[in-house]
Amino acid sequence: MKHIYLLLLGCCLGLHSFAQESLEALVDKEEVKTHEPVIATYKSTRIIQGHSPETLKKRELDFRVAHHFGDLGGEFGGPKTFFGMDNSADIRIAFEYGITDRLMVGIGRTKGSGNLTQLYEGLAKYKLLQQTTDDHVPLTVSLFGNAVVSGMTSSKTISDASYFGKFSDRLSYTGQLIIARKFTPSLSLTLLPTWVHRNRVGYKDQNDIFALGGGGRLKFTKRLGLLLEYYYPFRSKESKDYFKAQGRELYNPLAAGLELETGGHVFHITFGNSTAILENQFITETRSSWLQGQFRWGFNISRRFSL
Amino acid sequence: MECQIDNPFSTKQFTMKQLIALLAGLFLAHAGFAQDVFMCRNTGLSFFSATPVEDIDATTDKGTSAMNVKTGELYFKVAVNTFKFKKQLMEEHFNENYLESDKYPYAIFKGKLVSPPDLHKDGTYEVAVDGILSLHGVDKPYKEKATIIVKDGKPSANAKFNVKLADHKIKIPTLVIKNIAEVVEVTVKAAYNAAS
Repeated sequence: MKHIYLLLLGCCLGLHSFAQESLEALVDKEEVKTHEPVIATYKSTRIIQGHSPETLKKRELDFRVAHHFGDLGGEFGGPKTFFGMDNSADIRIAFEYGITDRLMVGIGRTKGSGNLTQLYEGLAKYKLLQQTTDDHVPLTVSLFGNAVVSGMTSSKTISDASYFGKFSDRLSYTGQLIIARKFTPSLSLTLLPTWVHRNRVGYKDQNDIFALGGGGRLKFTKRLGLLLEYYYPFRSKESKDYFKAQGRELYNPLAAGLELETGGHVFHITFGNSTAILENQFITETRSSWLQGQFRWGFNISRRFSL
Repeated sequence: MECQIDNPFSTKQFTMKQLIALLAGLFLAHAGFAQDVFMCRNTGLSFFSATPVEDIDATTDKGTSAMNVKTGELYFKVAVNTFKFKKQLMEEHFNENYLESDKYPYAIFKGKLVSPPDLHKDGTYEVAVDGILSLHGVDKPYKEKATIIVKDGKPSANAKFNVKLADHKIKIPTLVIKNIAEVVEVTVKAAYNAAS
């Protein structure tokens, strides 16, 4: 009979514990974890000048305007140019479009700042991997490439980088891997191994330059963030020394910016030493230095339309 | 068959038949209880708002819900970032700026049917639901109407109610206020199965 009592007691306890299990616990137990994408590692397709891992979504059109003013300080800055405002170092106007949620293309016209000017750019960016909220995929990885052609009149001096013996001399390319992670809702960091190829360069310059970029965003509020971007080009010492001796020393582009989002518009107010806006030039031909007051303010305006 | 069992504490003697009946009864009670609790793993939720500028429309089928038809208790839980919008940018803003799904990943409703009908019987029941909606970190009591249809012993629930964004401290910047309605209509659809 003892056994029977125990059995009955067990049954009652079983019943009791079942009744205690709340619907809440039941739901939590059943909940299927899905791999939801991490949203907005950056609010825009650019960190500052260089790319972010973000792509436009399907059927989205992005109208972009980027502007770099003249040197804020130094020889060409100061009050007489209203701290560079009177000069425009580079201007870019572009239309970019999302073909799928992961593939975007774009065309743009850039003034150009460096050996070549009057630049037409075609670009494509593809999102290979998307970070997920459950870290099933820990990183977002995108692949970016562009081709740039210069429309400028060829120089008459054969040794110039802007002397075009044939059409292909006008071309340059960028290929870039964009590896990013949104570490917290407010902190995103990115590594950008980059390759720039210019078909024609000047004496002692390099056709191929590899660079490693780093960038990040720190959000203060829902709509305001601090941006930072730096590229280290792996240029040969020989080439560096040559340009330094010539008084045309090359510097690594470093830029800081503020990101402001207003629902559909993203504004960047930026400060950086590079005059050029395109990777093809700012990675390879930045000749101005922060330390000599040769940094400038600039802006990026992005207006996205859902078509 | 008689079965004698020694029992130092009682003089009463059970027959095997009685014991089996008792145990069977207890098991049935268990089974009966289990049938009181129903689950829906693909609860559909959607919300809609019309503004002069554009309609906002988002859906998910990744909500989870449980209902106890005996006590009338109800529970809904959905991950905010599973809502899908037609416009991706809207989805981004919804998660980033309005619902802040990083900080408040779930929307949860915990409620009870007011005077629950006998939902073991097939039929259509108009019921009132009383409960708390936890959204964007703000809990607010709601009292809404719902329809429960029981077919072949399985209930399904439908409800439509309005959520005022300000009630849940969802702030819309003045710049885009005309693009976003202050009240959104939420639709809930759940088809339940017996919880295993």
